[in-house]
Parts: sequence; structure tokens; C-alpha cells
Amino acid sequence: MNAYNSLVKDLAPKKFNKPSIIWVLFLLIIIGAGLIAYIDQLIKGQEVTNMRDYALWGIYISNFVFFVATSFVGSVTVAILRLTNNEWRTPLVRIAEIISVACIIMAGITIMIDMARPDRLLNLFIHARLQSPITWDVIIIPTYIVISLLLLYFPLLPDLAILKKYYAKTSPKLSKWYGKLSLNWKGSKAQKAIQTKSIKVIAIMIIPVGLLLQTIDAWLFSTTYRIGWDSTNFAPYFISGAFVAGVGALVTVIYIVRKVNKLEKYITDFHFDKLGKFLALACLTYLFFNINEYLIPAFTAKKGEAVHLKTLFTGLYATLFWIVTIGGLVLPIIMLLFKRGRKPLPMFIIGVVVVIGSWWKRYIIVTPTLLHPFLPIDGVPESWHHYFPSLHEWLITFATLAMAFLIITLLVRYLPVIPIQRTADEQKISVSEKKSES
Amino acid sequence: MSNSIKNIKQLELRIFFLMILSITLCTLSIQDVTAQEVKKNRVRLKADYVKVMGDDSYFDIKASAKIEKKNVPVSNIDIIIYHELNDDQIKLGTVTTDNNGEHRFIINNFNTIKTDTTNTYNFLISFKGNDAFKKAKKSMQFKDANITTEIITKDSINYISATLRETSTDSLLVDQSLNVQVQRLFQSLRIGEEFNNTDENGTIFVPIEAGIPGVDGNLIIEVVLNDSDEYGTVKGLVKAPIGVPIVDESTFDQRTMWSPRNKTPIFILIFTNLLIVGIWGIIVYLISNLFKIVKLKS
Repeated sequence: MNAYNSLVKDLAPKKFNKPSIIWVLFLLIIIGAGLIAYIDQLIKGQEVTNMRDYALWGIYISNFVFFVATSFVGSVTVAILRLTNNEWRTPLVRIAEIISVACIIMAGITIMIDMARPDRLLNLFIHARLQSPITWDVIIIPTYIVISLLLLYFPLLPDLAILKKYYAKTSPKLSKWYGKLSLNWKGSKAQKAIQTKSIKVIAIMIIPVGLLLQTIDAWLFSTTYRIGWDSTNFAPYFISGAFVAGVGALVTVIYIVRKVNKLEKYITDFHFDKLGKFLALACLTYLFFNINEYLIPAFTAKKGEAVHLKTLFTGLYATLFWIVTIGGLVLPIIMLLFKRGRKPLPMFIIGVVVVIGSWWKRYIIVTPTLLHPFLPIDGVPESWHHYFPSLHEWLITFATLAMAFLIITLLVRYLPVIPIQRTADEQKISVSEKKSES
Repeated sequence: MSNSIKNIKQLELRIFFLMILSITLCTLSIQDVTAQEVKKNRVRLKADYVKVMGDDSYFDIKASAKIEKKNVPVSNIDIIIYHELNDDQIKLGTVTTDNNGEHRFIINNFNTIKTDTTNTYNFLISFKGNDAFKKAKKSMQFKDANITTEIITKDSINYISATLRETSTDSLLVDQSLNVQVQRLFQSLRIGEEFNNTDENGTIFVPIEAGIPGVDGNLIIEVVLNDSDEYGTVKGLVKAPIGVPIVDESTFDQRTMWSPRNKTPIFILIFTNLLIVGIWGIIVYLISNLFKIVKLKS
């Protein structure tokens, strides 16, 4: 077998093995449970959640913020690496693009889940106030979904054409689909010129659009005057936090895909080392913004804000706050400073810890502030003073996470996770070489 | 023997039944008597006569009752207002008290109402009573007085001059205490001394301090003879453009970030729409590139 065929065989999507099927079934069960819970929520209304007059944004919104953050980094990282011509990006970019697409789609769905009346979704457009960050959010999320899909699709075209040929004999049906999706890609100069130009345009465009997405997400909070959210730093705070969540998720998924698809030859320790340094930088930046976000109010806090900070530092949310800050941020930084910490397995563990920490970090940003309103909570049932998600909320949230994993799993199943054509070009395995060898 | 015992038992049962019946009836009748003897509460009627110069004259009527040692307003009762002249009672109208036990009765055509021989107006405020309250009355007597007001400027200082007269005799009223105040949103703002007694000309002369804010610089100044035993309350009003104009800081009609959608700031409209059109324009261009790629298959 020549080098080209060997490369295509290595990088072509693999059929599900038994663990993969079990994994998909497991995800489907979680999604099914979440779907039942959601239908019940639709029938009975949001009284099935533990959200009440005060904690009116609960786990759904923190989950939404997490998805937005994770989706942002995939695309923006890819774009930056493309524009700066970092060649080590090749085996990583497609996985990042897949994560972006999965997470931004789930962000859109999650925000609809949070709506008590999703049938009134259209009203958000019909009665939109252009001054409202919620309107901006409604506009930016579909926009970002489309751009993320285009960023995934354009570089895929040559690979889809390759897969069309590759599966022509073994799986004609699949080959036909790849053929349709490849848009008759022949690799002509004119086609390549349009593709290269389009990718460049998307890469340039997705950076400001991604920053807009994160900024709008932050402004949803910081324009409300609420204690803990009323900060001019909130947009960079969210952007730096998004890098942590996004790179953490990228590391985790890359490690699993590498192991399952046996891509150790293509995704090497070198790539993990690079990602490790990137994650360390992201964590350090986020730590800086965290200190900024909590230290200055600790000096200048008025009574209401002091109570809020006390709740986080030593009160009800202290355990979660310190676990998230130390476990999800400080310890990863320390581990990533050492070369051993940037090896694949430690990186995977760090990635998982960072992602879990990032998820709970959003919970800490959303919930405690809501329980510290401008006027004291008075004359309401005792349960309204606190918030912890109900079973419905947990089931639905886990289902959204499972759906994100399912989208990633299916895309990994049917798309080449490492760009085949680009890898061949980099390894200087040309089509002519392929022809001469054959 | 057994029959006689049976008869005695039947008799005992009848006596027992009659006793139970009589006890029940007695209890019910006692309850009825007690219910009829429930003490009705006494309504206290209060009425203040107010005359606003150049405007309406009215009675501010208030009904209250002392129930369980607490003074509570009596709402939803009908009160009749009579004009009394000699021995005649002329009904002027009926009012129903609101939730606060209050009602303002405006005296229509006050000029047509006649006084008695002492130039005194006589009115009767009457409540006929109902199931819960006893009947009540309140008589009112007062004479008519006028206040004429004028703004005078001397040495760049504004003064208000007000003269109090009894209407029927056109006589000046001396040594009467008048209050001078500026109308404000919730409560009037007093100007000058607490007591401004009229001089031998029935007049007061009070300086108006500079810098009082008013809508468009207009101040409505009130001179009030307050709750006089003889004349009731008489208010003279004068509107004077001597205040500091209030600058309207309301953004209600402006295009702001917090205004409704039809008042979106222009810069937001332009900037947001430019962004949307710009980004979606590029997206359309990119999608058109996909079609170009399809066409370039050869």
C-alpha cells in the first residue's frame, strides 16, 4: 500500500466499534430521559423547575453560558492558527471546529429550553428592541451557528471528495453522500482559489463575530446593575473564561478521538505540549481577570456586594467557589507549567477537571447574584430564598450535554477528524506520487 | 302489668322529647333576642367647608366610627346634604362615602344659595342610619369671605399682597391669620412667617423668596384662611411667572437605551443594522462561493 492510500485509510472515518455503540446508546438514554422531563416541563410549566421569582435564571442559563464559551474558542482558535500559519494546527483544527458546531447548536437549543413558552420564540424577532442585549444574543447565535458550519464545511470539501473515491467500492451509498457533499470537488486551481479565499474570509470574520458573541453574553449580565455582574470587566472576563473552557474541552475530545481512532501517529505529544502551553496561558489570563473581578470589589464593596462576596468566600457557595478556583484553575496552571503535565494523559485529566470547573464556574456566576436582589427577600416561601436545580432541570441539562456529545460523536463518525488533503500536502504526498506509485 | 309499664315508658319518652324540643326553642329564641339587641355603632360626621377663589366651593365630608376602641372610617354609607333656611330644609344632594369614609361634595351654584338674616349660611349633613350604624347629623354655619391676591415687585423683590373681606358686608377682616404657600406636588411649601395676621386694611404683605422652582417658571401661590370658625377655609390663588423654570430631565420622549423599540437610538439602529447586513452579506457571499465551486467541476 502506498503512502497516500495508507494516509487515507488512517484518517478516513472509522465504523463504530462495540464501546462506541454502547456510548451512543448511553447518550440516547440520557437524551430520552431529558426529553421526557422537557415534555413534562412544557405541559406543567416551569413550576417543575426550582426557579422562582428570585432565582429566575438557573442551571439552564449557566449551561447556556458554558456552551457559548466552549463554542467560541474552537472556531476562534482555529481562525487564529490559520491566519498565523501555525502548521502544527493541522490535526487539531477539525476537532475544534466540530466542538464549536456542536456547542453553539446546543447553546441555541438550551436558551429555548429556558423559555417557559417556546411557542413565543418568534416574538423575540417580531417585538425585538435593538437596544437589548437579549435581542443581540438572538441575532448573534444563529449567525455564529452558520459561520461555524461554514468554517467546518469549506476545508472539508477536498476530504469529502477523497472519501467519495475511498468508499466507492466498499460503501457506495456512503460514497454517494460524500460525493454530493463534496460539491463536485476536483481540486482544480479555480476551485482551490475560491476555497482558500473563502476560508480566509471566514477566519477573519469569525474572530470579531466570536468576540461579539462572548461580549453580548457578558453584557446580558453586566447591563443589569446586579451585584456581582455590574462590572465593566465582564466581557474580557467572559472571553478569557471561554478560552479556558474551550481549550479544556478541545484537549479532552482530542485525547479521546486520538485513542479511539488510533491517531497517535498524527496527534503527537508535541501537539499536547502546544495545547498545554495554550491552556496554561488561558488559565493564567482567566486567573488574572478573576482576581480583578473579586479583589477590587473586596476593597470597594458596599454592603450588598460585601454580603455577596462573603457568600462566595466563606458562606454558602464557598466550598464550590474554592474548588472551582483552586481545582479548576490554580492547580491546572501549576501542573501545566511542567513538561510532564503537558503529556497526553495528564493533559486529558487536566482538560476534564478544567471543563467541569468551567461548568460550575458559570453556576457560581449566575445563581448567587440572583439570590442577592436589590431589596431583601421578604414575604415569600422559605424555599424561594435558595436555589438548587430540580430533577427536571438536571435531566434536561444532562440531556443537552449528551446531545452535544452525540453531535460530536456522529460528526467524528462520518467526517475525517484530521484533514486528509492538508496532511497529504504537508507530508508532500501528492496525487501524482500516488498515481506513479500505483 | 306489662301494659302499664309499657305505657309509663312511652309517657317518659314523650316527656323527654318535649323537654328537648322546648330547650331547643328556648335557645333559639334567646339567640334571636340577643341578635336583635346588637348595639349599633355611632357614626361621627366631620365636614370642612372650603372655598377656592375663582373656583368651586365644597364640603370635605368624612364619616368615622369608634369600633372596639379604634377609630375606623365608615365606607359606603349615604349622606344627604341640606341647605337650611328659616325652618325649611332644601336637599342639595346625596353622596356615598368611599373606602376611606370620605367624599367631596361640590356645592353647585353657590351664588344662588341664600343666607339667613345674620348673613350666615346654614347646612345640615345627615346620615339616616342603617343596620349597623345609628343616624347622625352635623350642622354647619359659616359666613362668606373673599381673598384678593396680587403680586407686587419692589426693588427686584417679589411680594404677595392679599386682602381678606367679608363678602356680604364688604368689610375688611382685621387680625386674621393667613398662610402663604406655594403649591407643590405632594404638599404645599410655606412661604414667610407661620402666622401672617391681616393689618387694619385686612391685608398681608409677604416677600417671596427667590429661586423657587416651578414648571416653566410659574408658581401657583396660595393665600389661605385656614379652618376659620366663622368663615371655614378660604383659598386665594395667584399664578405668577416668578419661579426658576424646572428643566425637564425626563427622557420619556427621547431615544435612549431604555426606551421602547420605536425610540431606539439612531446610532444603535445604524450600528446594529450595519453589523447584521455586513456579516450576513459576507455569509451570503460565502454560500454563493459554494455554488461557484459546484459549477467549476471541470
